[in-house]
Amino acid sequence: MAAGSTALQSLVEEFVSGLQDSKAKDTATAVKDGQFSVLQLVEALGLSLTSSQPHTRARGVQLLSEVLQECYGNLTEREVEVLIAFYENRLKDHYVVTPPVLQGLKALTRCTALPTGSAVSMLRSLFQDVHVQSLMLAERSCVYSMLINLMETREAELKGLGADFVFGFVQSMDGERDPRNLLLAFQIAQNIINRGYDLGKFTEELFEVTSCYFPIDFTPPPNDPHGITKEQLIQALRAVLAGTPKFAEFLLPLLIEKLDSDVQSAKLDSLQTLTASVSQYERKDLAEFLEGLWVSLRREVFQTSSEKIESAGLAALTALTSCLSRSVLNSDSEDSLSTFLDVVLKDCKHHLCEPDLKLVWPSAKLLQAACSASNRASHIIAASAMPSLIEQYNTRTQCSHRRTLLEVVQRFIQSVKTSQSPGNEESVFLAFRQSLCSMVFSALSETNSSLQITATSVLTSLAQQAGLLLDSDIELAVDHLTRLLLTEEDDRVSLAVVECAGTLAELHPAAFTTKLIPRLKKEMFSEPMEQGDNSSTASELHSRHAVRQQCLSALAAISIQPSVVQESTPVLLEVLSSAHTGSVGFSVEEVVLACRSLQRIAEQVQDTEEAGRCFHDVIILRLLSLALQAALQGEGSSGRHSPLVEEVVLSAIVPVISTSCSRLQPMFAGQTASRAVSLFLDGDVSFLPDNSFPSNIQLLKKQQGDSWTQSQMVCLLMGCVCSLPRSVEVPQIDQLLSQLEEMSCSCSHPLSYTSAAKCFAALVNKRSQGDSLDSFIQRTMKRVCSELDSPSSPVRVQAFTLMIWVAKALLLRYHPLSTALTDKLFSLLDDADLGPMAAEGFSLLMSDSVDVLNRACHADVRIMYRQRFFSENSAKLVQGFNAAPQEKKSNYLKALSNIVNKLPKQVQVTELPALLSLLLEALSCPDQGVQLSTLSCLEPVLIDPPPALIQQLEALVSRLLALVGSPAMNVRIASLRCIHALSRFPVHEILPFRARVLRALAQPLDDKKRLVRREAVQARGEWFLLGSPGGR
Amino acid sequence: MKEALTLVHRLNAHPDSRCWFVSWSPSGTLLASCGGDKAIRIWGREGDSWICKSVLQDGHQRTVRKVAWSPCGNYLASASFDATTCIWKKKNDDFESLTVLEGHENEVKCVAWAPSGNLLATCSRDKSVWVWEVDEEDEYECVTVVNAHTQDVKHVVWHPTQELLASASYDNNICIYKEEDDDWECRATLTGHTSTVWSLSFDAAGQRLASCSDDRTVKIWKEFPNEGGQDDLLWKCVCTLSGYHGRTVYDVAWCQLTGALATACGDDGVRVFKEDESGDPDQPVFSLAAQVTKAHSQDVNCVSWSPKEPGLLASCSDNGEIAIWRFHEED
Amino acid sequence: MSGGTRLENANPVIFQRSLERLLTASEADEDVHDPIDDREIFDLIRSINDPEHPLSLEELNVVEQVRVKVNDAESTVSVEFTPTIPHCSMATLIGLSIKVKLLRSLPDRFKIDVHITPGTHASEEAVNKQLADKERVAAALENSSLLEVVNQCLSIRSI
Repeated sequence: MAAGSTALQSLVEEFVSGLQDSKAKDTATAVKDGQFSVLQLVEALGLSLTSSQPHTRARGVQLLSEVLQECYGNLTEREVEVLIAFYENRLKDHYVVTPPVLQGLKALTRCTALPTGSAVSMLRSLFQDVHVQSLMLAERSCVYSMLINLMETREAELKGLGADFVFGFVQSMDGERDPRNLLLAFQIAQNIINRGYDLGKFTEELFEVTSCYFPIDFTPPPNDPHGITKEQLIQALRAVLAGTPKFAEFLLPLLIEKLDSDVQSAKLDSLQTLTASVSQYERKDLAEFLEGLWVSLRREVFQTSSEKIESAGLAALTALTSCLSRSVLNSDSEDSLSTFLDVVLKDCKHHLCEPDLKLVWPSAKLLQAACSASNRASHIIAASAMPSLIEQYNTRTQCSHRRTLLEVVQRFIQSVKTSQSPGNEESVFLAFRQSLCSMVFSALSETNSSLQITATSVLTSLAQQAGLLLDSDIELAVDHLTRLLLTEEDDRVSLAVVECAGTLAELHPAAFTTKLIPRLKKEMFSEPMEQGDNSSTASELHSRHAVRQQCLSALAAISIQPSVVQESTPVLLEVLSSAHTGSVGFSVEEVVLACRSLQRIAEQVQDTEEAGRCFHDVIILRLLSLALQAALQGEGSSGRHSPLVEEVVLSAIVPVISTSCSRLQPMFAGQTASRAVSLFLDGDVSFLPDNSFPSNIQLLKKQQGDSWTQSQMVCLLMGCVCSLPRSVEVPQIDQLLSQLEEMSCSCSHPLSYTSAAKCFAALVNKRSQGDSLDSFIQRTMKRVCSELDSPSSPVRVQAFTLMIWVAKALLLRYHPLSTALTDKLFSLLDDADLGPMAAEGFSLLMSDSVDVLNRACHADVRIMYRQRFFSENSAKLVQGFNAAPQEKKSNYLKALSNIVNKLPKQVQVTELPALLSLLLEALSCPDQGVQLSTLSCLEPVLIDPPPALIQQLEALVSRLLALVGSPAMNVRIASLRCIHALSRFPVHEILPFRARVLRALAQPLDDKKRLVRREAVQARGEWFLLGSPGGR
Repeated sequence: MKEALTLVHRLNAHPDSRCWFVSWSPSGTLLASCGGDKAIRIWGREGDSWICKSVLQDGHQRTVRKVAWSPCGNYLASASFDATTCIWKKKNDDFESLTVLEGHENEVKCVAWAPSGNLLATCSRDKSVWVWEVDEEDEYECVTVVNAHTQDVKHVVWHPTQELLASASYDNNICIYKEEDDDWECRATLTGHTSTVWSLSFDAAGQRLASCSDDRTVKIWKEFPNEGGQDDLLWKCVCTLSGYHGRTVYDVAWCQLTGALATACGDDGVRVFKEDESGDPDQPVFSLAAQVTKAHSQDVNCVSWSPKEPGLLASCSDNGEIAIWRFHEED
Repeated sequence: MSGGTRLENANPVIFQRSLERLLTASEADEDVHDPIDDREIFDLIRSINDPEHPLSLEELNVVEQVRVKVNDAESTVSVEFTPTIPHCSMATLIGLSIKVKLLRSLPDRFKIDVHITPGTHASEEAVNKQLADKERVAAALENSSLLEVVNQCLSIRSI
């Protein structure tokens, strides 16, 4: 092809002589298209390649190499063979030629068509003819890449080189400084180790050429485009050093030496590398270094103040012990684990007995670290340490010492837990069961709170040890817990006792159902014998209330196992019914607590059929029945009404129902829903227990003389139908929606109309897409707007309430009609009466609602709805603010802060600069709520301030300093925190404000509230350090 | 008490820092103050209040601890923690820096002009007292360095009539110096205070010396003829006022016009004592005539009687304020 | 901190840090006045860094709450500190750091007294006298290298 070769020739000419780099690409394309073959190219390069000028030769080779980089995938084996021979030959050429030669070879190493033997021959030439460390960075990188590529594809062949390969690599790497290249080199070393290359007699050389970089001391240059971190290098090197037991004899002495360094990061690296390496080793690898390692580890843990070093040291000890535990016991070899642990015990145990227990913690932690390594280790250590600890506890009298000892015991028990293998291995502590129990029980009987609290944790840990405690121990424990529940006054102890009871009840329910629950019930329901003039004193009332509170809380905590739930829930229901009938004097607060306990149980119980029936067939029906009785009673003859008509009580009952509906047995939940609907719509009371209700109940329809006690029942309906999983259908939904809409727009009782609105909204939120939904919404909107638009309407507030909830419901699911509603809300910011309420409404829109329209209730909540709302409406808000009359501006600011406050932090930070001027205005707004929410969303932005904010420093500082004097404590605290954050701004920007800020912050140092003073001290301290030597 | 101390005026003289010292000019018309803000301020009377006439800002690199007027009133000397003493010359309403005296190794704690106007004394934390001579060409030369104290020297003061110098020190002692053969030597060491002596003040005749200390007392010393005609002087403590001050007494000032004794204390109080007329001159009795227990909101560092207006007293405090008081008979 | 020179006290005993102060109901109540108490002063000084070790004064037991006495009504505060060893050359510096921290953190009305726990230091009288002399303290803080060390002690340290 004469013409082809002319074209080729000219390309070559242009590249080589004409120095036109782009011709390489053209040539490569031509080769790929098949216009020429690579060998033809080689031929065409003939002249250049034989030129007497090294630069010309280099150019020639470069063209070839660049083409190869593009075309290596298409080469035939024959072509590759020729090319390799050519390149190998060129390795001996002038040093100017070497870089493109290496490039070309690198391209060839990626060929799949490498003939057998070529890998070896390439490497041989490479190692022979090239001194890698004399090359420039890019070329060295090339060499490493070559090795990596060949190791990927030609492993067997390379292994055939034997130890020469390793030797060649070691020579190439020796003295490498560049971090990127080091990462490559470490990769190669890892491959050598992990893929079984023969190290021959070069093990130590390989170790030395890599370990000289240990510990890594690297600070990335600023603006490093490669982004290599110190941590990457550390990890890569560690993988090499710790990768094979063959390095043990060299690595371990090195680590012991480096552990002695003063540099914290060197210590840390050594410890972590030790841990990594030991997990691969066997006993024999460690044997001669055990003593040295132990001395170093012990020293580090005893002397360090750094938590990181301490935990790394302990982890290393655990790894060491673990390794020793793995060794197989031969009859003639010594038990190295035992010997080692003897040394450890000897060095640590005596500290446990020292008079003032100064070094008890480091020693204990070391023992615990060894303990958690393996079952054998935990047996050995526990057998030695436990008796010591128990004896110490029994002989000492000082509470603080006893507490320390208990804490040590606690951690021992926990450390064993991690090593205990499941199965029938007996507990390590079996021999000490009795002593440990009596220790715990005696501590529980003390009066020192910290001691008691620690004792409960120990009890919990003991109970969690499978097969340790006997039934009699549990019963004794329950007795103690009961006593403490009923008599303890310290809140922290009570909390610990309840928690402990909860954990124990889950593991050993029997004692709780037979002993604890009946006892608690008896206490709760007992009332003083004498009535009348000798009524209880205030303190007696207070303590009885406290006891009841404890009992209620405990009943909830222990109710996890179904057997316990079956016993505890009837007690709680009985509290409610006794309170309702008045047979036992429970206060409203206590009734609420009982409901909360029921709620907690509903949240934590396992979703089984048994639990489902318990809640849906018993508890919910009972609750509905009691509430209905109370509602129908209205005001009783004695002027007393049942606590079950109180708003706070009903509001506590709702979550019991809604939690059950949302998480327990959808089928039963569906049943509950149908029953509720038929009760509220049709007055069907057939399913309620205590069925002595009249037959014409109309809970949703407004009738003459009906009191609020009945209409507010709608919140219970809400609980029943608004939390259902999507799969469950609500019957008669259209009728329900109509009546709810009617009620919410006409009723005058706040709880009633609000609950109706919420119920309506929640149903709308879940209703499937379509025309019927849309028409419902539009109808409702029409009605709502007509009421809102007439200033004299008596139901404006009700209409507003419905509107806001429906807006939320639609906003959450991205329904297109939501915009109309939110626009209406914006327009109301100017309204004379509803303006402030509208501003608050934004908070409602953006916050997570507790009882409806959240994910727990299976509502349709789309991701990022807040951000979406914000980005679609922020401009509107700003415009509205600018156009509003002065006295309405605060509504806009309040709305803004309500919206911004609920955005996720990252979004706040990116969006806030645009609203900066508005936010600064908000800081001057006299409304404390606005001030507070503005300050709290400003604070994170100050941590990483955008330039726009720095422009506004004067305004910002002035306003913040003004707010430091606010009458509201929260505002003072929030503004001080912002001023503190300001101290991190670029020094030259804020230094001019220093004197002023220091002067202004002198005042809050004497604030009457401690929390304010604390913030002022921190902020002022930072400002003092600005621009001062030793500060910032 | 038939007398009272009434506030006349309060000035926020050195904002955001402490005011260490105030001193009346010999004519009584101007008040110089200095402080932690490295500045000296000159205050003049305007009607019922005082206004700042000028600010001498760039004379020193560190705190200015004390200022002293020359007897003629045309010069002002300032002592600073920057180890220098600056001499200012009055030019109309302003002051110009004339010269800077260097030599002390560290903070200069006090400067004082001798009544003759030819001598200047300075003292420093370097434990030394330097005496300087000034000639007609306003040239200053150090003539003596005396190291009579073993610690920081806090204050120096000249005798009103004789060429006699007294110094107060952190070593709890007071030294009295006299010139002998062109050299100043310590001729008497007054021991008795149990802690740092902060300040000294001679009475109008120069017969008695008042000292105040961190030991919360004020002592009165009197010179007695020295039997045996030795060179050394004999000063003895003839009165100790204790139990009046709650904390360190930082300054004491003996009014040259009325003989009243004013004190500045770290318990924020300013007090004035008067000597009982009937007392034995060798065993004087002083009683508290008037006090303001919360004269300032922080420590009072200095008190200074006006040399011309009897009963007018200036005080200054760590809170940067100067207060002017009138000590008078109560109606 | 640790460089070529040997530390005087190379192996100090480390004490546990006390837990954070729990919030009480009255502290959260807007209208109740919280007087400044010993614990509050202790909280101000406990995290001051020791100039030599990477530890706080609390961890070294140099300051303890029982040795802090404050009287809010009389505006006085007294802090006793215990140097780690009787010849500790850092005693004055430590005392100065405590004093400066209190000066920067307390209202101006307070009279601050910082001194060494009696019987725990060879030169305690000399050190106490220096710390009590406000003129000496003021001059010392104008010395930038000393101020630098003090500020470092008062900065929040990370590992």
